[in-house]
Amino acid sequence: MTDSARLSQLHVVIQSAKLKETGTSLFGGKGDPYVEMTIDGQPPRRTEVQKKTWTPTWNEHFTVLVKPDAKLEFKPQGLLETLPSTTMHGCIFNSINDMVHKLLCKKDLKFGTKNGYQRGGELSLEFNGLSVSEEVLAALRAKHQNGPTTQTQANGSAGRAVAVENRSDEGHPSAAPVAGVAPVSAPGGNTTTNSTDAPPVPRPRRRPPPPPQETTAVTVSNSARPTATARNPPGVSQTAAGPMPPPPGVASTTTAATGAVASTTPASGGSQPPLPPLPQQPPPSAAAGGPPGAAATALGRARGVNLDLNNQPLPGNWEMRLDPQGRPYYVDHSTQTTTWERPQPLPVGWERRKDPQGRIYYVDHNTRTTTWQRPTVDSMRNYQEWQNQHAQLQQDAMQQLQQRLYLPGTTQPTTETVPDDPLGALPLGWEQRTDQHNRKYFVNHISKTTQWEDLEPRAVQENPLPDGWEIRYTKEGRRYFVDHNTKVTTFEDPRDKASKGPKGAFGVPVAYERSFRYKLGQFRYLCQSAVLQGHVKINVTRATLFEDSFHQIMRLQSPELRKRLYIIFRGEEGLDYGGVAREWFFMLSHEVLNPMYCLFEYANKNNYSLQINPASSINPDHLHYFRFVGRFLAMALYHGKFIYSGFTMPFYKRMLNKQLTLKDLESIDPEYYSSLVWVKDNDIDEIDLGMTFSADFEILGKVETVELKDDGANIIVSEENKEEYINLMTQWRFNRGIDEQTKALLEGFNEVVPLVWLQYFDERELELMLCGMQEFDVDDWYNSTVYRHYTRDSKQIQWFWRAVKEMDNEKRARLLQFVTGTCRLPVGGFSELMGSNGPQKFCIEKVGKETWLPRSHTCFNRLDLPPYKSYDQLLEKLNFAIEETEGFGQE
Amino acid sequence: MPNNRERNEQEPGTSGARGSSNSSSTSRPRQQTQERIPRPPGSSKISSKMLQTSAKRIQKELAEITLDPPPNCSASPKADNIYEWVSTIKGPRGSVYEGGVFFLDIQFSPEYPFKPPRVTFKTRIYHCNINSQGTICLDILKDNWSPALTIGKVLLSICSLLSDCNPEDPLVGSIATQYLQDKEMHDATAKQWTHRFAR
Repeated sequence: MTDSARLSQLHVVIQSAKLKETGTSLFGGKGDPYVEMTIDGQPPRRTEVQKKTWTPTWNEHFTVLVKPDAKLEFKPQGLLETLPSTTMHGCIFNSINDMVHKLLCKKDLKFGTKNGYQRGGELSLEFNGLSVSEEVLAALRAKHQNGPTTQTQANGSAGRAVAVENRSDEGHPSAAPVAGVAPVSAPGGNTTTNSTDAPPVPRPRRRPPPPPQETTAVTVSNSARPTATARNPPGVSQTAAGPMPPPPGVASTTTAATGAVASTTPASGGSQPPLPPLPQQPPPSAAAGGPPGAAATALGRARGVNLDLNNQPLPGNWEMRLDPQGRPYYVDHSTQTTTWERPQPLPVGWERRKDPQGRIYYVDHNTRTTTWQRPTVDSMRNYQEWQNQHAQLQQDAMQQLQQRLYLPGTTQPTTETVPDDPLGALPLGWEQRTDQHNRKYFVNHISKTTQWEDLEPRAVQENPLPDGWEIRYTKEGRRYFVDHNTKVTTFEDPRDKASKGPKGAFGVPVAYERSFRYKLGQFRYLCQSAVLQGHVKINVTRATLFEDSFHQIMRLQSPELRKRLYIIFRGEEGLDYGGVAREWFFMLSHEVLNPMYCLFEYANKNNYSLQINPASSINPDHLHYFRFVGRFLAMALYHGKFIYSGFTMPFYKRMLNKQLTLKDLESIDPEYYSSLVWVKDNDIDEIDLGMTFSADFEILGKVETVELKDDGANIIVSEENKEEYINLMTQWRFNRGIDEQTKALLEGFNEVVPLVWLQYFDERELELMLCGMQEFDVDDWYNSTVYRHYTRDSKQIQWFWRAVKEMDNEKRARLLQFVTGTCRLPVGGFSELMGSNGPQKFCIEKVGKETWLPRSHTCFNRLDLPPYKSYDQLLEKLNFAIEETEGFGQE
Repeated sequence: MPNNRERNEQEPGTSGARGSSNSSSTSRPRQQTQERIPRPPGSSKISSKMLQTSAKRIQKELAEITLDPPPNCSASPKADNIYEWVSTIKGPRGSVYEGGVFFLDIQFSPEYPFKPPRVTFKTRIYHCNINSQGTICLDILKDNWSPALTIGKVLLSICSLLSDCNPEDPLVGSIATQYLQDKEMHDATAKQWTHRFAR
C-alpha cells in the first residue's frame, strides 16, 4: 500500500472562534486573529486575517488529504503579538477516526501557562465529506482504539453534501467508474450520505450496522435506462466456491459511515463487484445458515447496538436473528439471504428484481434507475437533497463555461413527435408506447420485452423485400435477412442499397446522416463501444498545467486516454465528477492554443480563430507538441468536453480530410483570396503579371521559393493554365509550412479517436462539437445588425428575423457560422463582431434575384440576401444555404 | 539585415526627388539594380540560381518605375533589400500640399503581388485619410488590391488622394469634419504642416 493510497480526503471548515478577552493591560487590545492549520507537519494553510476582534468568523473551506493517523493542528495566530506562537495551542486530533462524523465541533483553546492550561476561548470547526479508501479502512480496522466520542450537533451540515465522491481509484467497494457513460451524467448516480446520527466511528466492517433508519443506505443510480441494466445487471459473482460478497448491510454501512458516496453503475458493476471480497468477510448465504458476520468473531469486541430503535414490524418472510455476539441480523426467507440491515417496505415506485445470476437489485421506476442498495426513505430524501444541490452546482459550472451547450439531451429531449422522427419508423415487431407518466417506451413483441431506449440505428419504413428474401429475428430481437435464393443470411437490409443509396459508416443510409443530432448520437455510441474499463489519472499543477499535462498524456498509451478521466489539480484535491475534467479541458486548451507558445497563431489580425503556426519549429520539439494537441483534441471530443477557443474552418476541414477550396481561403486570408479570384476572373494574358508556377513564403525571416510543380519557376502562368495554377496555389497556401505539424497532430488525434469516426460530420459540426454552442441573444443580434440596400423595415428583413426567432439554437449557431465563419461570439456579443478589417457588424445586403440562394462573405460578416417574394421562400432558401456546407451556398 | 534607416539616410536615388530633376533620380536606381543582387529580408543566400518569384516581379516593377516614373513620384529600394523601398511624392500642384516633398516607406511581402505592399507616410501630413502614424486609408491597399496593380499605380492613387481627399471615409475624423465644416481652416493647417514638415 503506497502512502498516497492511504490518503483520504477531508473537508475542513474553519468557522469561527470565540476568544476570551485577555484583558491584561500589557497585551491588551484585540488581535488580528487567523488560524493556521497544520497536518502532519506539512506547510500550514491559513485562513484570512480578521481584524481587531475577539469573535472572528472565517467560514473558510479547506480540502485536505489526510492519512488515517494524521495529526491536525489548529493554531490561532496573530492574537497578541507578544505571545509566543507556541503557547497558544489549538486542538490536536490524534486520529481522524474521531472526526469522521464530527461534522461540527468546538474546541477549547488553551493557553499554556506555568500553572498548566487555561481556557482561552473556543474554536468552531467543521469536518465533512471524509472519503476513505479501502486500504485505509483496512488499516483502521487493525488499529482502532477509541470509542465514540461525544457527538456534537450536526444540523445544517446534513444537507451540505460538499462535492463528495468516492475515490474510485482506490478500490473503494462501490467505486466503479462509469464505463461509457458521459462523465457529466455519472455524478447523477451518486448520493452523499450524511448520516447525521450514524455512529461516529468508521469501523463498518466489524461492526453490526446501525438500525436501518439511521443508516442511510446509499442510493445508486445511473443514467442508463432500466433495460440496459436488465441486460447487464449489477452483480457480484455469487458462486459457492468463490469469495462471498458481504451482506448488503455491510456495504451500505461502509459508505454511510464514511460519509462517502457510492457510485456504481450496472455496466461496471457487472465486472466489478460492489465490494471486493475480503477473506474474512462473513458469507451471507442463508443456505450455509450462518449469520452474516459470523466470522467476525475474530474481532474481539462487540459494539453496543441499539436493538429497539426500530419498532416497525418486519415485512413478510423476514425474520430477525441474533448472531453469537448478540448482534441482530435479518433473514429473508424468500430469497434465502441475510442482511445486517433491517428490511423496510420499498418506497413507492420501487421494485425488487433479480438478475439472471439471482442477485437482487432494485428498480426505481420514478427515475428509471437501478441500484444494488435497498432504498430507504432516508436514502431517498438524502438523494433528493443531494440531487437538488448537485443540479445547482452543475448549473453554476455550466454558466461559467459561457453557457455552452451540448446538443443532445441538454436543451431538447430527442423525443420529438413521431411523424417528424428523423430516425424513421420502428422495425416490425416493435411498438412505441407511452406509460401513465407520458414517458415513451418501446415494446418488442417478438421477444416480449420492453425498454426505455429507442432502437439505435432504426431502419427506414419498409419497402417490399426483393424476391426470395425474408425477414427474421434473432432471439434478442435483432432483425436479420434470409436470402433464400443464395441461402445466405445477413444483418444488412438488402433494400437499403437499392432504395437509399450508399450506406454510411454507421450502417444507415446516407440520407439519414444529415441530422447532426443523429450523427452525434452515433459518434457517442462509437465512443462508448470503445471505452476501456478503469480510469486514467492526470495530476497537474495549475502553474505548470501545460507541461504537466503534456508529459502525462504523452507518457500514456493512447487507448488509456479513453478511460474515464480523473483529473487532479494539485493542492486543491477536489473529486472529479466531470467538472474538474471540464475545467481541465478548458484551461489547458487556453494554454496550449495560446499563440504565445507559437504552436498556433491567429488566422489574421482580426480573426481570432486559430491555425497551425508555420514558424512553430522555433520550438525544436514542436512535432511532439502537435501530437499532444491531437491527442488532447481527440480526448475533448471523446469525453464530450469543450475547448476554449476555436480553429479556422480550413483546420477543421483538414481534420475531416476534406478538399480545401479557394473559397475556404477567404476566411483566413482575404487579400490572398481576392488576388487569386482576380486572377481567376480576369484575362491575365492581357497584362504581364510575371507569374510562374512558383511561390514565395517567409518563415522566421527566411524567404523560400517553392515550385508548385516540376520546373514551375520556368512555366509562365497564362490564361490557359491558370485554373491549374489557382488550384495549386490554393493547396500550397493552406499547407505551406505546416505539413509536418498537421501530420503529427492528426496522428495524435487518430491514436485516441479514429479519424474515420468523424467522416460524416462537416467542419461546422466539428466546431460545434469541440467548442460547444453558445446561447444566442436574438435581441442583441437584431440590435447589432446593419443593412445595405435593405432597411430594418424591409419585408425580407422582417421575415429574416422571424425565421431567426423561430430557429432553435443549433440552427442559429449554424446561421452565424454561415455568415461569420464561426459559431463563436466575441465576449461582448454581436456588437463586437470582427471582420477582416476591424469591427464589422453582422450585415445583411440585398443582392441578386429571388431565384438565388443566400450567400455569405465571412470576412465581412455579410449575408447576401436576395429579395425573396415570401417568408416561406426565404426560409427555404436560407435553410438550404446553411445546411449545405460545400461551396455553392457561399460561392 | 535590418533596414531601420531614418528618412535622412535615404538612398541616393530618392534624394534626387527632392525637387530636383527627374533624370538623376531615374538613372541611379537602374545602376543600383545592375550592381546589386536583390536579397530577401534577413537571408543572405537561398538558391542563387533561382530568384524568388516575388523578387522577380518586384524587380520588374523597379525597372518600370525607374524608366517611366509616374509624375511627381519616385521610388527605389532602400539598400540592398529589394523588399523595402522608399518613395517620395511631391505635393500636387494646386493642392494644399504643393511645395512639399513627402517620404513614404514601401514594404513588399514575399507574397507580393498576392498581398498588397504596405505603404506608409514617413513625413507628417495633415490629411483626413492619413493618420499620425502615416497609415493610409486607401481601398487599393486593402480590399481592392489586385495582382494587376503595381507600385507605380499605387503611388499615382496616393497622389490623387492628396489632390482629392475622401472625407466620407475618413481615417482621422476630426480632420474630415473640419474639411467639411471649415475648409479654410483645414487648408490653412494643411499648408502650415506642409511648410513645417515637408520642406
